Amino acid sequence: MKAHTRKGWMLALTFALVATFASACSSNNGNKNAASPSASAPASASASESGTEESTSPYKEKYDPPVEISTVWGVDPALKFKNGETIENNVSTKWALDTLGIKINSLWSVTDTNNAFVTKMRLSMSSGQKMPDTVTIGDAQLAQDLIDTGMFQDVGELFDKYANDTWKKAMELDPGVWNPYMRDGKKMGIPVLDYAYNHDYLLWIRQDWLDKLNLEGPKTLADLEKIMDAFKNQNPDGLKPDKVVPLSIGFKTTMNTWMGDPSWIFGAYGTVPGQWNVAADGSLEWGSINPASKQALETIKLWRDKGYIPAEAALWDENKTSEPAVAGTAGIIPGPYWMSGWPLLDTAKNVPTAVWKPYAIPTGPDGKAGRHGTNFTSGVTLINKDMKNPEALFTYQNYLFEHLADPAKGSQWDLGVFKGYDYDLDASGNPVYLDKIPGGEVNINRYWLVKDGARIPDAQMKSLLALADGKEPETRLEKEVKNNYGPETPAAAKVLLSQPGISISDMFTGPSTPTMSSKQDYLKKIELQAYNEIIYGKKGVDEFDKFVANWKSSGGDQITKEVNDWYATTK
Amino acid sequence: MGYLRRTWPFHLMVLPALVFLIVFNFLPMAGVTMAFMDYKPWLGFSKSAWIGLDHFRALFEREDSIQVIMNTFIIAVSKIVFNLAVPFTFAILLNEVRQRFLNRSIQTLVYLPHFLSWVILGGILVNFLSTDGGLVNRVLGSFGIGPIPFLMDGDWFRVTIVASEVWKEFGYSTIVFLAALAGINPSLYEAAEVDGASRWKQTRYITIPSLVPMAIVVGTLSLGNILNAGFDQIFNLYNSLVYDKGDIIDTFVYRTAINDGNFGFATAVGLFKSVISMILIVISYRLAYKWANYRVF
Repeated sequence: MKAHTRKGWMLALTFALVATFASACSSNNGNKNAASPSASAPASASASESGTEESTSPYKEKYDPPVEISTVWGVDPALKFKNGETIENNVSTKWALDTLGIKINSLWSVTDTNNAFVTKMRLSMSSGQKMPDTVTIGDAQLAQDLIDTGMFQDVGELFDKYANDTWKKAMELDPGVWNPYMRDGKKMGIPVLDYAYNHDYLLWIRQDWLDKLNLEGPKTLADLEKIMDAFKNQNPDGLKPDKVVPLSIGFKTTMNTWMGDPSWIFGAYGTVPGQWNVAADGSLEWGSINPASKQALETIKLWRDKGYIPAEAALWDENKTSEPAVAGTAGIIPGPYWMSGWPLLDTAKNVPTAVWKPYAIPTGPDGKAGRHGTNFTSGVTLINKDMKNPEALFTYQNYLFEHLADPAKGSQWDLGVFKGYDYDLDASGNPVYLDKIPGGEVNINRYWLVKDGARIPDAQMKSLLALADGKEPETRLEKEVKNNYGPETPAAAKVLLSQPGISISDMFTGPSTPTMSSKQDYLKKIELQAYNEIIYGKKGVDEFDKFVANWKSSGGDQITKEVNDWYATTK
Repeated sequence: MGYLRRTWPFHLMVLPALVFLIVFNFLPMAGVTMAFMDYKPWLGFSKSAWIGLDHFRALFEREDSIQVIMNTFIIAVSKIVFNLAVPFTFAILLNEVRQRFLNRSIQTLVYLPHFLSWVILGGILVNFLSTDGGLVNRVLGSFGIGPIPFLMDGDWFRVTIVASEVWKEFGYSTIVFLAALAGINPSLYEAAEVDGASRWKQTRYITIPSLVPMAIVVGTLSLGNILNAGFDQIFNLYNSLVYDKGDIIDTFVYRTAINDGNFGFATAVGLFKSVISMILIVISYRLAYKWANYRVF
C-alpha cells in the first residue's frame, strides 16, 4: 500500500512536469497564431484600397480609407513616454492617422541599449522573419547587408516621382549622400539627412581660467601648450598640478570619434587618422599612415610626458573625457558645437564660476589646421520590395519637410509640434518648454517614422548663425535651437563656420570591400598598438615607419586599391 | 520488459529534459556546417556557398593568430591552476575555524563577488587600479611602491586578469570543497586523535587525501575551458596597450566576426575551440579515472 502511494506521487509529479512543458510549448504556438491575423490585415486593407479607381496617381495628401505602413523601432533608452503611451501608439501615430490617413503598424520594438536594435534586426534578417514596409537604419554595415538581401527596392524612381521640392533641394546640397546606397546605378535606399557640421570639432576652453591668467585664446599649437602649462602649474582655481587635466582627450578604441578625441592634433599637421582622405594625387589614402601622423604622435607623446593629457588616455572613451570637464578639473575639451548644452551645461553644478567658451581649432607649425568633417547623412530609409503603398511614405515625409524641417515664420508648428509634449502654454497663453511643461518634456523627434523626422542639412547652422548675430528667434527652427540648446551654442556655431575649409570628411562611404572583412580588424589592431606604444614611450617614434610598412604588406595596400576602385565608380 | 513496466514513470520524468536537450543542444549542432560556408543569413543554409576550410585557413593566416592562441592558453591555464589551488587551500583553512558564526560569515562574504557581472566589476576595477589616483595605487604609494600600470602593461595585465578572476570566483568554488570536507568520516579523525596525531598531521594525512578526488574532478571539468580565458572579463578590461599579451580568441572573434556579421568565421573558431576542448576532456577524464577512480559513465 505504501509503495503504491509513492508510485502515485511519482505519477502525479511526472504529469505535472510534462504538463508544464507542454503548456510552455503551446503558449508559444498561441502567440504565433495571435500574431498572424494582424500580419494579414494590411494585405486585406490595401486590397480594398486598390479596388477604388477614383484617381490615377496613388499618391494622396490624405488617404481615405487609411493605408498602413509597417515598421520596426529601436527605442532610444533616454526617450520618455507620458500619458501611458508607447512607441507603437502615441501622439505622433495618432497625428499620422488623423492628418494623413496613415496607420503606423509596428511589427516589433526594442529598447536600443548596447546596439540592441542592430542585433535584433540582424537576427530577424537571419531567421527569415517578415521585413517591415519601411525601416530606418543608422548602422552602415547593417544597411549594406540589408540592401544585399534583395528584400528592399530601388527607390530612385519613387523619390523622383513623389518627393516634394523642399526634400529634393535638401538632398541636392550634397549629391554624394546617395553614394553608399548605389547598386549598379540604382538607388537602393533614401539617405536620412542630418544637420551639417554636427560632428565637426572646435575647442571648449574654460574662459574663467583664461581670464584669471590674463591669457588669450590659442591660435597655434604653441599657444595651446602655454595655456595648458598655465592651467596645470598655476591653476586659477588653486587645484594641484596632478589634479588638473589641462586637455581632456581619450582614445580607447579610435583616434577619431564624436567627442574628446585627438584627431585635430593630426589635423594641425595635415591629416586626419582613422578615415579615408583625398591625397595630393586625388586618390584616397588611409589617414593613419600619412607621414603627418608621425609628427602628431610626437606632439601627443610630448604632451603626455608633460602631463597635459590624462595619464590613462588610452583607457578613456568619449564619455570618460567629459567627466573631468563636468567636474571642473579639465581646462580644455575638444568636441562638437552642441556640447554647450550637453555635457558642459552641468559643470556649473560643480563649479559655479566655470564658464566654457568655444575656440577655433589651432594651427600647426606650417599654419595648417584640420578636423574630421560630418557627412550629411545619419542613416538610410529602406523600402520593402513588397510594400503595397510606397507613396504613403512620401506623403508622410513630404509633410514633415514642408512643416517641420524649416518652415517660414507663421507656420502651424511655430511654437512646437505637439502641445503637452515638446511645448505647452501657460495660463496667459505664452509657450513654455523643457522642465516647465506639465509632466515633463518629451523628445518628439524620436516619435517620427523616419529618425529625427526631417532635417535640412544647412538649416540648423543658418538659424544658429542668425541667433549669434543677435537676431530674435522667429521661425520654428530658430525657436527650437534657442529653447533646447545650451547658451553658447550660437557662438560655437559661429566659431565653427569661421573655419569652413578645415573639415575633412571620410570619403569612403561604400560597402566594406572583400579584403576589409578579413583584414580590417588586424590592421586596426596594429595601428592602435603602434600609436599607443609611441605615445606611452614604449617604442621610439620610428616605430611608426615599421607600422606603416607592416600595414601596407598585411593587406592595407590591397584595401587601398579596392577603396580607390570604389571611389572611381562614384565620380 | 517487467523492468520497464515497473520503472516507466521514471523514464517519463526524464522525457522533458531529454526533449529540451535535443531541441536546444543537438538540433542546433547542424549549424556547425556554417563553419564551412560563406554563410549569408538571407540566403540560408541551402544557398550559401561552400568554401571548405577557408575560415580555418583565415584563422591561422592572421599574423597574430599564434599570439592570440598563446595568450588564451596562458591566461586560461593560470586561471585553472589558481582557481583550483586557492579554493582548495581556503576550504581547509576555513574548516579549521571552529567558531560557527565566523565560519559562516566569511563563507558568505567571499562568495558574494561571484554574483557581480564583469560589466559592473570592470568599471569598478578600472577606477580602483588606475595609475592616476586609483585606490590600489594610492595604498601602494604610501608604502613607497610607485604606481603600477595594472591595466596598461601586458605582463601586469595578465596578473590582474588572473588575480581578479580568482578573487571573484574562489569563494564560490570553495563551497564544493567544503561539501567534500563535511563528507569525511569523523571516525577517521577520532582514530587519529587516539593515535596521538597533531592537528597538522590530521590535515596532512586525512583532510588533504580526502579532498584530492574532488580536486581532480573539479580540475577535469575545468580543463574543458582551456581555450576560454573569459570573454566578458577581458573585454571589459583590455585596451590597445595590452593587445600583445591580453588579446584572446574570444575578443578577436567578437571584433572580426560579430561586429562585421561574419557568422561563418565565428562558427569556425567556435568549432575549433570545441574540438580542442573535447580532446582535452577525453584525455583528462581517462586520467581522472586512472588516478582518482572517478567516473561519470
